[in-house]
Amino acid sequence: MNQIGPIFRALLRNKVGAFLLALQIALTMTIIVNAIHMIENRSSLMARPSGLDEANQFYLTSSGYRDDFNEQLVIEQDLRLLRQLPGVINATQINAIPLSGGGWSMGLRTAPGQDGLNTGVAIYFVDENGIEALDVELIAGNNFSTSEISYREANAVEWPQNAIITAATAKELFPDLEPAQTVGKTGYISGDEPLTIIGIIDQLQAPWNGWSGVERVMLVPQRTLFGSSRYFIRTEPGQRDRIMKEAEELLLRQDAGRLVRNVRTMTETREDSYRGHQALQTVLWITVVLLTIITALGIVGMVTFNVNRRRKQIGTRRALGASRGDIMGYFMIENFMVTSFGLLLGLGSSIALNIWLVDAFNLPRIGWHYLPIAMVILWLLGQLAVFGPARRAAGISPALATRTT
Amino acid sequence: MLKMNNISKVFRTDVVETHALRDFTLHVEEGDFVAVTGPSGSGKTTFLNVAGLLETFDDGDYLLDGQSVKGLSDSQLARLRNEKIGFIFQSFNLLPDLNLFDNVDVPLRYRRFNAAERKRRIEEALEVVGLASRMRHLPSQLSGGQQQRVAIARALAGQPRFLLADEPTGNLDTQMANSVMDLLEQINKEGTTVVMVTHDPLLAQRAQRNIFVRDGRVSEVTSNADASELLHKTAQVG
Amino acid sequence: MFIYYLRLAMLSLRKNILLTSLMITAIGLGIGAAMTTITVNYLMSADPIPHKSDRLFYVQLDNWDPNSPYQEPNEPPDQVTWLEATNLMAAGKAFRQSAMGQSTLIVEPNRPEQKPFVTRVRMAYADFFPMFDVPFLYGSGWTANDDLDRRLVVVLSKATNDEVFGGVNSVGENLVMEGRSYQVVGVLDDWHPRPKFFDLSTGAFNLPEDLYVPYSLKESLELPSTGNNNCWQPVSEDTFQAFLQSECVNSQFWVEFEDPDDQYEYLAFLDNYVAEQKKLGRFPRETNNRLSNVMDWMENQEVVAEDARMMMYMALMFLIVCLLNTVALLLAKFIGRTGEIALRRAVGASRRTLFAQHLIEAGLIGAAGGLLGLILAWLGLKGINGLYGDQINGLTSLDPNMIALAIGLAVISTILAGLYPTWRACSVPPAGQLKTQ
Repeated sequence: MNQIGPIFRALLRNKVGAFLLALQIALTMTIIVNAIHMIENRSSLMARPSGLDEANQFYLTSSGYRDDFNEQLVIEQDLRLLRQLPGVINATQINAIPLSGGGWSMGLRTAPGQDGLNTGVAIYFVDENGIEALDVELIAGNNFSTSEISYREANAVEWPQNAIITAATAKELFPDLEPAQTVGKTGYISGDEPLTIIGIIDQLQAPWNGWSGVERVMLVPQRTLFGSSRYFIRTEPGQRDRIMKEAEELLLRQDAGRLVRNVRTMTETREDSYRGHQALQTVLWITVVLLTIITALGIVGMVTFNVNRRRKQIGTRRALGASRGDIMGYFMIENFMVTSFGLLLGLGSSIALNIWLVDAFNLPRIGWHYLPIAMVILWLLGQLAVFGPARRAAGISPALATRTT
Repeated sequence: MLKMNNISKVFRTDVVETHALRDFTLHVEEGDFVAVTGPSGSGKTTFLNVAGLLETFDDGDYLLDGQSVKGLSDSQLARLRNEKIGFIFQSFNLLPDLNLFDNVDVPLRYRRFNAAERKRRIEEALEVVGLASRMRHLPSQLSGGQQQRVAIARALAGQPRFLLADEPTGNLDTQMANSVMDLLEQINKEGTTVVMVTHDPLLAQRAQRNIFVRDGRVSEVTSNADASELLHKTAQVG
Repeated sequence: MFIYYLRLAMLSLRKNILLTSLMITAIGLGIGAAMTTITVNYLMSADPIPHKSDRLFYVQLDNWDPNSPYQEPNEPPDQVTWLEATNLMAAGKAFRQSAMGQSTLIVEPNRPEQKPFVTRVRMAYADFFPMFDVPFLYGSGWTANDDLDRRLVVVLSKATNDEVFGGVNSVGENLVMEGRSYQVVGVLDDWHPRPKFFDLSTGAFNLPEDLYVPYSLKESLELPSTGNNNCWQPVSEDTFQAFLQSECVNSQFWVEFEDPDDQYEYLAFLDNYVAEQKKLGRFPRETNNRLSNVMDWMENQEVVAEDARMMMYMALMFLIVCLLNTVALLLAKFIGRTGEIALRRAVGASRRTLFAQHLIEAGLIGAAGGLLGLILAWLGLKGINGLYGDQINGLTSLDPNMIALAIGLAVISTILAGLYPTWRACSVPPAGQLKTQ
């Protein structure tokens, strides 16, 4: 440690090389910090629970095409048959699938008319089995009753009497009330169509994962007669894949003039939904890892060159009484200084890049803790990279000093 | 001061076995000024490296200042070099990125002296070699003779008991060589033991004792009875 | 002389094979990453119809809620209503024009062993085909009269024709869909404009639809709307007609002009049209009509994904790090060689020849790095393709432009990177270095 002064002064004699390395470290830090920030950001988006029992759920689409296709009859029969399948916990018809990207949203108001805050909510049409099939928890109020389930035609503009909303919807509509206290309140849809909130569910995501209101969902007690319908099925744990096949075959066996298609699990749907995020994360991880390796190898290369260039100087130092540890220390301290300078620059540029990203890509501000963590890691990386060449330097024989080449 | 008894050193490659030193025996008393001469390949440099603890030896005993150096660890050897030996090299071996002050400072740092002590010693050593005014210059800004004087200052700063010089004037012209030799003699007179390896018989004569090495052995020892007279003569020749 | 330098460079590179490969790898990785992301961005922002993209215009009219714009800041809706689609078609003020929308139909193949299947349908007008230079394998598009008469005609994509008719010329054949028989008038050749500029609403890089029918059939057959549908007002009653007459937007409207300047005349017509509609109590917002040519529309719709841009910036910074790495290594290497350089200078090499020698060495590293970068870019694009799947259909192929760019980028950046170290090394004076180390 008592070599700091001379090492620093010697470094100043080789400013450009040291500066280039420092710049490289600064940029490495900048990229790593911001990349990991982005990765974390995406991770937190992906970690939001959908509210479903994803591992044990799947869905399929049934589309009628023949003239004699009796939709209402087919739906009732299908659902009955599906629920009877051993291993099926419950099944419901649903118009859209959470996270799938396609669905229906409407505006809800707390007062009738065209004025006032219009809160967008995703609409899921389900029957009284919806709550169990989706595996959402009713935290207040009641489920729909069997008798209130009605049928909805394609161009219908009317709405039923009751609805169930998520806690997040309740908070948005009635910010002053606890979600449970909103049971019995009325929301208005399509201007002045009233809907009574009869129940609150804890959590359920909308079909669009990028929507700011992704937690805002409303369940409406209707089955749809849109020509094409989706069935959402929840199975006992571990039975999903078997039941998927059985369900498809079961429906195909009913000669009803319809197609069965798009049989997919919730797991696949989640993967598809977050594929872009997942891909960006992978790309960023690869960048971070490669960058770290390149920078580390760059340091190894630089120090190796320097050691080779300074072989005679090292021999001289050894002759003058430097121990192996002193020589190792020299290179370690030298690297520490260059790295520290680079990290200081990196501190500034990391923040600058983040400010730009916040501005250009609406990314959240970086957590301050990233900076010291990245610095410590890069310090260690530098020391690790320098260790090998420094040890070779320490192995240089002091007898080199007397060689006249 | 330096007692080498039956030292041998062998370099082995796959094909050849070279005896660089065999049964090398040499005693140097405290305050001596010894010149080691010999044709190239005679083992001069190996002697120098062994004497300076830069290399180990295979057989025999070596006592430096009464202490056997056999079996000492690398760091113990480094410490001995640092405290007891001052080195002067043919090509000076100054560190090009450091100014004169920092160059002289190098061995003192390894000695863990405090800053004030180092500063005092550096200034004193540079004063002795007459370069105190150029402390902040870089070696490349100096002539060869000046560079070697800095190297001598570096060797002196730690106040070693024993100075090892390897062809100290080999890279210098005659005038500069003489001034360097004068300096060495002066140092010797002040009590430091000096061992100088050289191929120049004229320079060797300025030492009190000449040792001629051939085939890795001491083959001849001559004493220059009146060293000062010889010195005078050489100076006139120069 | 060049050959001699080349040999010297090779010798020097081989002497320190590890560091040489480190430099080549660094450049290769940098170029690979940069090229992968640049290619994706380049293909995303490519002009899908270059010879007429400045004459094709997307029409936007602002029929939205008086209290809040469709999108901040005061952006008109990105689609038009059925009313506007049909009114503007009837007016026919442009050289060519077509309203369009998406739907689905279930095809019931003639062959009994083939199961019925769902197809994605584009409903459009006759001008759609000539307007977008849609290539035909057999037959042609339908006529304007077919639009007016609401005839059951269909144009098949190549894939659909392959599926239903085994790839033979099916023009004149009948295709049964949901109980009705349509006459095949044309079969398309392979057609996959990237981006799918004529309708970006459901994914800018999706494949075009499986088949095409006249848009006028939507009304008569009550074909359902797929794709995006946005309403600011509730539909008045529960009939299909009410839905069509509503302020819900779910149609796209394109016009083609013979001269880009005709857009001003057309814009005046649109303003006029909106003024007329205002008299009928529609269009409560201030007149806010837009005409955007293809590239402007791509930009407006942010076809180049943010993630792709972000990745590109990251990759470019990565490349800079790799270059800094190379500069630093070359500098260390060349400076370590000052002895040799001084010797060469002493025996008569001019500063210029030494400069050339070292630049060639740097250039060689660049070329090797560029080559490696190309391979890595190719792998990178494969990887991106694997990661994103269908989302970026056909956006991951290297074209000659990109290959040239990659090599050029590599060599130029390495020579730039080699410039400073070379200069430093060559400014060694000839004598001094020989005497002392």
